[in-house]
Amino acid sequence: MENEKTLIQFRNIQKSFDDQIILKGINLDINQNEFVTLLGPSGCGKTTLLRILGGFLSQDGGEVYIDGKEISSLPPYKRELNTVFQKYALFPNMNVYENIAFGLRIKKVSNDIIEQKVMRMLRLIGLEGYEKREITQLSGGQQQRVAIARALVNEPDVLLLDEPLGALDLKLRKEMQYELKRIQQEVGITFIFVTHDQEEALTMSDKIVVMKEGEIQQVGTPVEIYNEPVNAYVARFIGESNILPGIMVDDELVRFDEQDFKCVDKGFKKDQPVDIVIRPEDIDIVPAGKGKLNGTVESVLFKGMLYEVIVETVPGTHVTVNMHITSETANQKDDGHIHISGNSFYLDVDDMEGIQDKDLIARADAQAWNDETDEQLSIESVETNLEKKIGTYEITFTTVGGLSITKTIQVIDQQTVRDEKRNEGVSAFNFFKSKDEIQESVALDTDLKTWANAQGWRLNNEDQGIPLDVTYDFDPETITEGVYPVTFWTKGREFKIHTTDYVKEGSRVGLAFGPEDIHVMEKEGYTS
Amino acid sequence: MKTWRRLAIPYLIWGSFMLLLPMLLIVFYSVIQPGNDVATFRFSLSSYVRFFTDRDFLLILWRSLKIAIETTVLCLLIGYPVAYWISRCSQKTQNLMVLIITLPMWINMLVRTYAWIGILSEGGPLSIVLGWFGFHNVDLLYTEAAVLIGMVYNFLPYMILQIHSSLTKMDPSLIEAASDLGASPFQTFWRVVFPLSIPGVISGITLVFLPAISAFFIPKLLGGGGWFLIGNVIENQFITVGEWNFGSAISVIMAMVMMLLMTLVRKADRKASKEEKA
Repeated sequence: MENEKTLIQFRNIQKSFDDQIILKGINLDINQNEFVTLLGPSGCGKTTLLRILGGFLSQDGGEVYIDGKEISSLPPYKRELNTVFQKYALFPNMNVYENIAFGLRIKKVSNDIIEQKVMRMLRLIGLEGYEKREITQLSGGQQQRVAIARALVNEPDVLLLDEPLGALDLKLRKEMQYELKRIQQEVGITFIFVTHDQEEALTMSDKIVVMKEGEIQQVGTPVEIYNEPVNAYVARFIGESNILPGIMVDDELVRFDEQDFKCVDKGFKKDQPVDIVIRPEDIDIVPAGKGKLNGTVESVLFKGMLYEVIVETVPGTHVTVNMHITSETANQKDDGHIHISGNSFYLDVDDMEGIQDKDLIARADAQAWNDETDEQLSIESVETNLEKKIGTYEITFTTVGGLSITKTIQVIDQQTVRDEKRNEGVSAFNFFKSKDEIQESVALDTDLKTWANAQGWRLNNEDQGIPLDVTYDFDPETITEGVYPVTFWTKGREFKIHTTDYVKEGSRVGLAFGPEDIHVMEKEGYTS
Repeated sequence: MKTWRRLAIPYLIWGSFMLLLPMLLIVFYSVIQPGNDVATFRFSLSSYVRFFTDRDFLLILWRSLKIAIETTVLCLLIGYPVAYWISRCSQKTQNLMVLIITLPMWINMLVRTYAWIGILSEGGPLSIVLGWFGFHNVDLLYTEAAVLIGMVYNFLPYMILQIHSSLTKMDPSLIEAASDLGASPFQTFWRVVFPLSIPGVISGITLVFLPAISAFFIPKLLGGGGWFLIGNVIENQFITVGEWNFGSAISVIMAMVMMLLMTLVRKADRKASKEEKA
């Protein structure tokens, strides 16, 4: 910007509502004639900051300066700035002309000057000839423009825009983005724009302020924010990216997935843990062995302009169990119209602490029903000689009517698959099911995980689960009695790549990228 | 959809029968004179002639109009600030205030009006309080002021509730927008808040004025015999004198006057909002 004069200064702004801290000491300078965007998810405090500047809220602590003057004590109507509200807030009792003229009428500007200025605004926003229209006769986009004109006609130094495009449809939103940028360049004043839409921010801003939970994460130009995000949060919020943990081995040398890579970042401590961002469009797919990493193509999605390819370079943790498909008669009994069913199951000797009847019913998937009334019946009693010792035990489920079924419990010492390097543990049990149960399942992947009691977790924190994927090699429609392997696995290292060249799913490929494509960031919450 | 609509027909017939028939009967009674026996009658406008040629009746009509207008104006002047103040309170306080305002309506209007006899009479609470300020032996009961107080007391809640609901329906960001555009709280009120609350004011006026002009037991109880209003005349004609034809004619005249006045109010509102825009 040609004019670098600081216009607005926020100094240590704090605000909380009902004990909930919204702003944690915001410091921010905004220059004259800048298009500044406050960007962040809902609840990050961006609108609160804007409303403090507009005068609709007062801060609990800190100062706001405009042109070097502290303005906290001024009511909104004495501040030299105007706001475009989220839902426009046009006055329904006035037509387009009177809405735009409102601020000038308050200032007692003479009628002929009001007319000149309002007409000029109508030309600026492209709504000439609409001055006599009622507000309710306008479309959302037109109301939006009137709201902008109503604010701009007062020739403020600063225009505040509170998610003004949120209520518009996608096409109109794109149009208004260009429109707003054009208006800002034409009138040459400071725009402060609040949005949660990263694309809007990148398109329009001179400066983006990324916020999270009441704190500023990064301030910079769109290019800076995109190419050099300061942490994984900013990288994830702006554009799509591959974010992976690594260690800074030395200046310009970073290690991830047990390989060292040259990069262009320096100034970190030796062996400092960092986050690494590689943008999907910065990775090229090359023949296997020709790139810096090798992997298998997991999926290819056509996205119009390009393909989004997922390549797995390091496999995840796998556990394979046996699924026994038993005959219908083996797991079901009936007594006229009353039916009872249940399956034999495996149990880990370590999981038996405090096990209750309802857990056993769930593990056996024991059910009882009446086929005439289609009514579910409850299991009245569970009898078992189960002990906390490896071995085979019997369990009998009985309905109210006395119909019972007896199955076996295999108590075993289950080995979990542990991957210390990836900090992952995965376990699953063999299980018994009938053909019908497979075919009646509406969400087979989820049911398989439940039946096998498949679980993934972080080795250093058992409460932190890891989502599992499941693969099997049978057709649920035509399955017959027998034993089938089912594999549960965690995702390995995956890279998202944007490319214009098609690659085949399942093929081996190499991934190539340069040292400048690796962006090293400090870990969030890491203090050096 | 159409078949469902047909289900409404019996209600429509029943409703129009119950609503229209009594009104048509009143109009019918107003233009006839009874004959020698029950089955004979003749058309005549003599009831109307009698009303408009009798100075006393015209005076009572004028007095009723005057007191109804005074009641409405007072209700508006007291009700608007109260409604405005309530609408600026927190939601919890608002609910409580609305409850307090509707609370008296749970008690029969007649009983509450009787209570005012005690309050207003000499030696009652009001005269004691006035006595502290040096006004001794004030007896308001059976004066025009007493009738006015009783009317305002009874009809004020309707005004407050109507205006309050139109104020709370207003988008609060409109007030912020006006302030943002440089309007002081006073300017914001006159240019934005008040014009947008006019529909509430109009329905408040309607709900106060119409029952006020035809009220009969408030003037009867608080005005004693001295404050005869048109409602009392109609009541008398039907119940005491038994001249149903004359009573019906006065009712029709009253209905005409009310219709005329309400049309004028609505026209004035439309004209005002047009001037606002021009």
